Amino acid sequence: MPTLVFDAVYREADASRPLAVIESVRRVQRIVIAGRAARARGVAPGMALAVALTLEPRLDTRDRDMDAERALLERLAAAAGELTPRVSLEPPDGVLLEVRGSLALFGGVEALCARVRAVCRRVGTRARLALAPTPLAALAGARAPRGHAAAPSPVMHRAQLIGALAPLPLATLRLPQDTLARLAKMGVTEIGAALRLPRAGFARRFGHDTLATLDRLVGREAAPRRAVVPRERYRARAEPAYELTSQPALVAFLAPMLEALEGFLRGRQGSITALECRLHHRGGAATRCRLRFAQPAFAAAPIGFLLAERLAATTLAAPVMACELVTSRLVPRRSASAALWQPGEHGGGPGNEAPELIERLRARLGEQSVYGLCLVPEHRPEAAWRIAEPLAHRGAGTAVAADRRPLWLLSTPLPLPSPAGGHAWPQYEGPLEKLAGPERIETGWWDDRDVARDYYVVRSRAAALLWIYRERQPPHAWFLHGVFG
Amino acid sequence: MSDDPLARLLQHPALWRGRSAARLPTWPTGFPALDAGLPGGGWPCAGLIELLTPRAGVGELRLLVPVLARLSALMPARWLAWIAPPFEPFAPALAERGIAVERQLVVRTAAPLWAMEQALGSGACEAALAWMPRARPRGLRRLQLATERGRTLGIVFRDSLAAREPSPAVLRLAVVPCGAGVEVSLLKSRGGARGTLCLRFGDNCA
Repeated sequence: MPTLVFDAVYREADASRPLAVIESVRRVQRIVIAGRAARARGVAPGMALAVALTLEPRLDTRDRDMDAERALLERLAAAAGELTPRVSLEPPDGVLLEVRGSLALFGGVEALCARVRAVCRRVGTRARLALAPTPLAALAGARAPRGHAAAPSPVMHRAQLIGALAPLPLATLRLPQDTLARLAKMGVTEIGAALRLPRAGFARRFGHDTLATLDRLVGREAAPRRAVVPRERYRARAEPAYELTSQPALVAFLAPMLEALEGFLRGRQGSITALECRLHHRGGAATRCRLRFAQPAFAAAPIGFLLAERLAATTLAAPVMACELVTSRLVPRRSASAALWQPGEHGGGPGNEAPELIERLRARLGEQSVYGLCLVPEHRPEAAWRIAEPLAHRGAGTAVAADRRPLWLLSTPLPLPSPAGGHAWPQYEGPLEKLAGPERIETGWWDDRDVARDYYVVRSRAAALLWIYRERQPPHAWFLHGVFG
Repeated sequence: MSDDPLARLLQHPALWRGRSAARLPTWPTGFPALDAGLPGGGWPCAGLIELLTPRAGVGELRLLVPVLARLSALMPARWLAWIAPPFEPFAPALAERGIAVERQLVVRTAAPLWAMEQALGSGACEAALAWMPRARPRGLRRLQLATERGRTLGIVFRDSLAAREPSPAVLRLAVVPCGAGVEVSLLKSRGGARGTLCLRFGDNCA
């Protein structure tokens, strides 16, 4: 990545402005890399900042950011995971992909290179590509100066390797500076010349490590690579050029972030069960939007739809300075075949409409507003059921056998006024007519919610059937607990 | 089925012929007297039904218990959605009456129209019940279209006062309590009879 240093600092920058990245070397600020507009004015890497500013007074400079470079490199490695599972980092500016197995899948060298370039564009950098049978040779090829006579990549066969490497400068191997200087004094500046030197003498003069480097370069010695282990969570942060105030702008800004997430998930063959979107403001706490998916999700479009729903229901306290996406742990993606029949048609399965419906409802109405039911073997009515996660695979639970239960239960029993204290029949929109009862429901010492009640089925004046009870403890208050519906 | 092509054509469910009995796919209501009065002999499998009651809890839910039990026993099972119910559906009572508790989905919302439209149109539900005191005819029209999209039975509970408003529902019933049962008046039905009939529930208050 020849422009990694630049791309890490200037993301989506205006290419027409003169830009440069600077670094302090022995208290002199020097240009590390300059943008195209700045190069056109004569600003070159290594130049002191003062000199560069005289050449181009409007030069916009930023400090080099090693952390951002490393992060960009890792993002690129993660994104390249969609092309091959064997990706390794070559800091500070290289990424190695082992693509022998992917060539047939992606339709040859040209098509694969196009895909790699597309991945780089998505991540926000540009790459110089080189293909070679050994990792070091590929790196050397990629580092070869542009326009150099020798850059006949791709090298597909080992027989062509030494011929292709021979004219490349030794500097592409990134050997220590003094080694390179001593070799240069001997008139050896190209890889081919170094390979022609006698091995024993070479090892004695420049060390076994340098010889081993050459051996790995031409494949005489294996060069095992440590593959990048992709992160188990995904976290991305992006800052918009302007503070975002409206929901549509926010949704539009989040869309490319979600696409990057989808690419990451595709590379890992994974999906996520939850996503948190943090919206950072200038001051104060970040606004957090948490999405939980009824079933693992990976595609950007439905996630974006749910996020938009959730954002529409969120009020922004202040303009948004930065957006951050944090996912749950990855779970392996399970793919399923599509059903031939629509749900509800003869033979149609339940499909994935139910999870989608539940997610959509939850995204707008909130997590707690959508729930399923579950039975609990309990004799107290309020404890005989509980809220359940609708898609959790479980049975319905078991119930204590009881009849004459109302279809509706009041979540908190409604106190009924009784004209003559607890000993007379209560009133509920008029006098009540007893139909059945009493049924005594008692005890609950094990969870400190002891009950002692006599339940009756009554008919109100409006002819609704009600389920009421009287406390057995004084003052014998009456409560409405259910409606037969 | 007759071999006569005209008779076969007239059997087509999309053909509406005044008061004649064009066959609609239906579910038995569980009350033979009501079946006889409804077009097709039962609740439609897909479509919007309006139940108008003077207040919640007069027996309108018990009227639906047989069909809900039947729907929740279908394989493969789809869901039963309860949108903005006035109280908590009591799971033990549902189980006692043969309604599969694990296929129920309760949605608490102040905007039942949107949630109902989603539930009906998604195809994930066999039936969706919504309590919508403030429904407008335009909203109901959207629900009717959604039932066709999702092949779902939609049941909307409204106040009796809404009987004066026009409605796009395929079936409109007024339910008032009457002794140990309910009195059901057929206000609107495609091709069905009009009239009032009295239904008795079992002794079990069920």
